[in-house]
Amino acid sequence: MLVTFWSRTGRTEKLALAAALGAVQARANIRLRWLREDVDERLVGEVPGWSENRERMSGEYVAPREADLAWADAVIVGAPARAELAGPEFQAYFELLRGAHGKGQLHSRAGAAVISGAGANDCALPGVYEALARLDLILVPAHYGSEADALQAARAHGRRVTEVARALKAL
Amino acid sequence: MITIRRSEERGHFDHGWLNTYHTFSFAGYSDPAHMGFRALRVLNDDRVAAGRGFGAHAHRDMEILTYVLDGSLTHKDSMGEQHTFGVNTIQVMSAGTGVIHSEFNASASEPVRFLQIWIVPGVNDVEPSYQQIPFDAREKCGKLRLLASGKAADGVRAAAIHQDAAVYAGMLRPAETLTQAIAPGRYGWVQVARGSVAVNGEVLAEGDGAALSEEREVSLSGQGAGDAEFLFFDLS
Repeated sequence: MLVTFWSRTGRTEKLALAAALGAVQARANIRLRWLREDVDERLVGEVPGWSENRERMSGEYVAPREADLAWADAVIVGAPARAELAGPEFQAYFELLRGAHGKGQLHSRAGAAVISGAGANDCALPGVYEALARLDLILVPAHYGSEADALQAARAHGRRVTEVARALKAL
Repeated sequence: MITIRRSEERGHFDHGWLNTYHTFSFAGYSDPAHMGFRALRVLNDDRVAAGRGFGAHAHRDMEILTYVLDGSLTHKDSMGEQHTFGVNTIQVMSAGTGVIHSEFNASASEPVRFLQIWIVPGVNDVEPSYQQIPFDAREKCGKLRLLASGKAADGVRAAAIHQDAAVYAGMLRPAETLTQAIAPGRYGWVQVARGSVAVNGEVLAEGDGAALSEEREVSLSGQGAGDAEFLFFDLS
């Protein structure tokens, strides 16, 4: 399971980690990857916590690589509700995914998303789903409103995506 | 019977930020003849450069013990545990149903050296847990200090693990000796962390290990001119 996320203050990171933990609980091997943004340092300094988290996450995570996509049976994308999917970080990742798709590496693989923030499932989710669907990934939708706690829901989603990926692999 | 695993025979990788020796098969080092000993599955001797470490990664169904020899480590995990610890401390993480954690050298200027040990649990799917137990350095001088055990420790604060095994630390001055009985049907492993130790007459150097089978006791004697530090594993 490849979990790739974009996070400034750490909130989406927590959600991505929760999804990854759910996958581990379902006995998946996981790789966690971070989309490091290439932005003006002044802008980073204007958002409380961004600079510190950016520094920390730079040490804790690497960017997704081609080998990760060839390895993964499922991909989960973690994004904030207001994420700009047209921004360079996501576009670079989707380009990597398109490359893997072109090599047939995403065939019968599962794709899913975890979105953080208010109105999460209404804002960014459709865009992420569309991007994943265009890559022929088999979408595993999030639990709409079935879990009160976002982290608990993300863990449940990680388990569910693992189970779907396992079933797809067995086909 | 004693079977010696010499330091130079171990798997070795120097990645620059990480200089690591694998007594048993691990990651990129795979040798079917060295997959572990009894429940002892991994024994890594890691040296991590200042400020560097292992990013977020997952474990499941494994007892993971960390024993720092020099420097200090910062640990953070999905259970919400975040701690920095150094020498004379045993850290045990029971991964059970699943844990994601990271480990980094806590120092921005000094390297950290530590032994990381994986013991296969006797039972799977336990609730993940974290233990960190410091002890007085004198408690391992000239004797075995229990670090972790699958049984309730009597009179000593040790970490609980989900396996019928006990892990001890010991330190011997030159020519100083100690003896520990090995119960019938049980096995031992000695890992020399630094200095030199004779194990039932066989001289081991730093990084060497020794598997003990069908031995009634382990007799340890400090060799050379300096102090020797080692771990002893009592295994079923």
